Amino acid sequence: MGPYLAVAPLLLLALGGCGLMMTEAYASFTKTREEGASSQLALPSAVTMLAAAVMAFGLWLKDPATLDGAAVLAPWLVIDRFSVFFTMVTCLGGALATLLAGGYLPEHNLDRGEFYPLMIFSTLGCVVLGAAGDLLTLFLGLETMSLGVYALTGFRRSPRSVEAALKYFLLGSFAAALLLYGGALLYGATGHTDLVGIGQALAKGGRLPYPALVFAFCLILVGLVFKIGAVPFHMWVPDAYEGAPTPVMAYMSVAVKSAAFAMALRVLVTTFGDAKFGSWATGWPPILALLAVLTMVIANLIAGRQESVKRMLAYSSVAHAGYVLVGVVSVMRVGAEAQASVLFYLLAYTVSTVGAVGALVWMGSRGKEATSYEDLAGLGRRHPAAGFAMSFFLLSLAGVPPSAGFFAKMYVFRAAVGAGFYWLAVIGLLSSVIGAYYYLRVMVYMYMREPAPGAPEAEPMRSGMVVSALLISGVVVLLLGLVPGASLEMAIAAAVK
Amino acid sequence: MPSSLFDLWPVLGVGAIGALIPTKQDWKLRAGLGLSAALLVLFALKTWDVPVVPEDGPKEWPNLLSALIAIPLLGAGFLLFLPRQSPELLKRFTLGVLALDLLLSLSLLSVPMTKGWHFQSIKEWVPSLGIRYHVAVDGISVWLVLLTTFITPIAVFASFGSIKTRIKELCFSYLLMQGAMLCSFVALDLFLFYVAFELMLVPMYVMIGIWGGAEKIKASLKFFLYTMFGSVLLLASMLYLVWEYTRITGAPSFDLLALSRVMLPQKVQTVCFLAFALAFFIKVPMFPVHTWLPDAHVQAPTGGSVILAAIMLKVGTYGYLRFGMGLFPWAAGTMSANLAGVAVLGGILYGALCAWKQDDVKKLVAYSSVAHLGYVMLGLFSATPSAISGSILQMVNHGISTGALFLLVGVIYDRRHTRQVDEFGGLAKVMPVYAVLWLIVTFASIGVPGTNGFVGEFLVIMGTYVSPRLGRFAGIDAVLAAFGVILGAVYMLSVTQKMMFGPLSNPKNKRLADVNTRESVALAPLIVLIFVIGFFPSLFTDRMKDAVAAFDVRYRDSFELAKAHGNNPAELVTIDDASFLKGAPPLGKAAVEAARQAAAEGSK
Repeated sequence: MGPYLAVAPLLLLALGGCGLMMTEAYASFTKTREEGASSQLALPSAVTMLAAAVMAFGLWLKDPATLDGAAVLAPWLVIDRFSVFFTMVTCLGGALATLLAGGYLPEHNLDRGEFYPLMIFSTLGCVVLGAAGDLLTLFLGLETMSLGVYALTGFRRSPRSVEAALKYFLLGSFAAALLLYGGALLYGATGHTDLVGIGQALAKGGRLPYPALVFAFCLILVGLVFKIGAVPFHMWVPDAYEGAPTPVMAYMSVAVKSAAFAMALRVLVTTFGDAKFGSWATGWPPILALLAVLTMVIANLIAGRQESVKRMLAYSSVAHAGYVLVGVVSVMRVGAEAQASVLFYLLAYTVSTVGAVGALVWMGSRGKEATSYEDLAGLGRRHPAAGFAMSFFLLSLAGVPPSAGFFAKMYVFRAAVGAGFYWLAVIGLLSSVIGAYYYLRVMVYMYMREPAPGAPEAEPMRSGMVVSALLISGVVVLLLGLVPGASLEMAIAAAVK
Repeated sequence: MPSSLFDLWPVLGVGAIGALIPTKQDWKLRAGLGLSAALLVLFALKTWDVPVVPEDGPKEWPNLLSALIAIPLLGAGFLLFLPRQSPELLKRFTLGVLALDLLLSLSLLSVPMTKGWHFQSIKEWVPSLGIRYHVAVDGISVWLVLLTTFITPIAVFASFGSIKTRIKELCFSYLLMQGAMLCSFVALDLFLFYVAFELMLVPMYVMIGIWGGAEKIKASLKFFLYTMFGSVLLLASMLYLVWEYTRITGAPSFDLLALSRVMLPQKVQTVCFLAFALAFFIKVPMFPVHTWLPDAHVQAPTGGSVILAAIMLKVGTYGYLRFGMGLFPWAAGTMSANLAGVAVLGGILYGALCAWKQDDVKKLVAYSSVAHLGYVMLGLFSATPSAISGSILQMVNHGISTGALFLLVGVIYDRRHTRQVDEFGGLAKVMPVYAVLWLIVTFASIGVPGTNGFVGEFLVIMGTYVSPRLGRFAGIDAVLAAFGVILGAVYMLSVTQKMMFGPLSNPKNKRLADVNTRESVALAPLIVLIFVIGFFPSLFTDRMKDAVAAFDVRYRDSFELAKAHGNNPAELVTIDDASFLKGAPPLGKAAVEAARQAAAEGSK
């Protein structure tokens, strides 16, 4: 098989994306094309991504370290357990979001075929980003991922949507430019572009231009934190999420965020993991700790004041980035356990968020989309199944046991306690109480209020694909909450060495 | 089996009599009456007759507790697939599941509650984090389990009378709550306990929020966020505790028995204890974190109030006893004198005074809960064997009498849709049976001799007076607590006077119907138990005395150890109490290594 088995998920995504694009292009020439035909692509794209995830799981079982292809690709693409884990997470997130789109797009008359190839290529970027071991491949992955998402954000072509896409595009390119500039400086200072090489040069010390290095480090950190969407670089998140079609919002908040965290973890651990940059006294951990505190507190407080459920979920995804950052901060002290907590959190967060956003998608039909709290009033009575699903996933996001969200939160804060950051754990847990307030507020509207007379009501739609996405996420959320053992061990094994 | 069936003749006889006497009623009601009469006799028989212990102990079915927890949870899952259009089916199904749970829980009484754990069941859950599914009962928790299985069907049955909308959600909430509450009383793993502790919040939140009164949304959010605030601190200190344990033994464990083997430095004990205590005090609730309780109770529907007061508050007191005192004996011991002051002044006296000034009778009962739970907490702070027994008994008593009071308040609320004391007066003339029941429950709540309240309060006050933990304040605490009994009489009797007696001035009250059959069936078991506990308290205290004595010894010994240990780094202290450590996980790798080394050095 040569090097091909190691990159099988990537190849699958790339070939699948091309194939679907061709299919879409040729199908549109036929005269008999009926409305909604391109939504036929939804299921194949979801299957492509799921197949990539399954393929990644196969690689996991085979142990990527034993593949001869992995050595050929290094150091540009690092195929190890870490990247394979993230391939699974991002492909799962992408597949679930695509299933949501399969219901959402025809319902809201957005049925255009380019959506699905864009989604697949963007997922391809996520996977490359998770596996990137060199600044060049890292940038390549970042841009592949981002360009797809920029286009998807503006997919509705309404002024709101276009504004969101433009904002996201401008800010995102700016952040990417900062990252690139930081990378250039790093190359100038150390003579390496691969992450391990830079890390070794930094660890060796000697005659390095430290002012330039620190500057480069700051630029790279800003670029990373921007993609993660943590405070204070979160300004684009609510606008972009709100303007984007709802399935794209789900995609952005799970796959894109997971890939960004994968990139951040690898860069911080392998490149800046030396005694100087990785220490509490002189390195990045205190900076990230401060950002984590700011993110958890500010994002939760702002989320509580939102009137739109979509915006609330956007801020909640910012807040969750804060919880994950707590795990990242602990990495330098407790190592594999803390990395595992980040990985597990992202997996749990992926299924919970797709579920919550999916329930929101399910609740709205054409012209009667559910966006504000008022739209949801009385929905628990009018549509018990959707209300139940929404409550279930929101409770998981709020961290109520026995759900994936609870276990993930516990695991992250356990890492913080183990690293001696008690205050970080306490602040995080207390801010999750604020978080519980706004998640419960959705339940208040769904179950305890009735719509005002004459007010617009959300009308649930019918879609097998949305329901199956919800079922898959629901089962995974419950499994991760009840029997987290196996996936925990996977996460521990996946930690970057 | 035939011989044991024959042994049950009084049960069957009483059941038949109960079913045959009300000849004018339909068969459903008669079957219900017969069944409840039979169950009561069965309960009395089982408690009465403690069989002789065979040599190797009686056979215990290890999955009993798991079945008790699983039946309502599986029932809740199954309920989701029943049609919402047929509320009768949903109601019957729910009551059936709860009745099965009650019957099964009675078999807990089939073994004598000796020292140590019974019906223990252990399964690995998340081995890499040291989390196990570990459940067991002892003489302390068995009463709370029985209280839960006993009260919930009554609350559910009563609430079907007043709640007519969204039965499916109602039944689902009740079943989920039942499973979570039972799990919290039998969990010996901190993680499992925490899961149950949090899980029971959601159904109660839904219950207050959907079927509550005018201010329901505010009350339900307040309830949820207040409790969650405490419980996240509990989680944080739990993680810290386990981390300390891991550091000394080399392997993590969330097991209560394992964690009790670690002697933490006094500073650490204090920090952890404060977080644990805050979480439990919010749940109890104790002054000054009690302010969610009146709101939640006033807004909750009757069934929700009954469950909240009778069972859910006990999770706080039980958690304090089992985990707060069990894990941090030094911190609990040194702070108990001050905390007892808070319990007496803020709980018993302030709660009683607040209750006295209420115009809303449900709010009055809610504040009386604050006062009653003040006694429970006072008994736990005193920590003498009689005070602890009194506290446990008082937990059960409060569940019964306050549950009954809430049911009684619900009766007049269903008829008049108001709970203002001024609206009533002279009810004894139109509702004579109701007035009698109210008086009985009032007496139980005050603690008149012959009712259950007397025994519990007496034991607590007696234990407080001699408690060495409270130092020179023991006498004052006991006297003030006794004074609280008088205050209890003042507020309960004054509201009885205003509502039941005097002229029937309000014309709206002239045509009120007396308690109907559903309400009587719900109340009857509670009234019977008031007298059973009042006259035969030893039925209950005998079964808890071994567990309480063992707990007391362990608590005192580990307090002395911690005192000697001071602020030195945490170390492993092996307790020689084999019955307590039964089922504890083996010590971690490092500890095993250390033991091996010590043995090698000893042999040299």
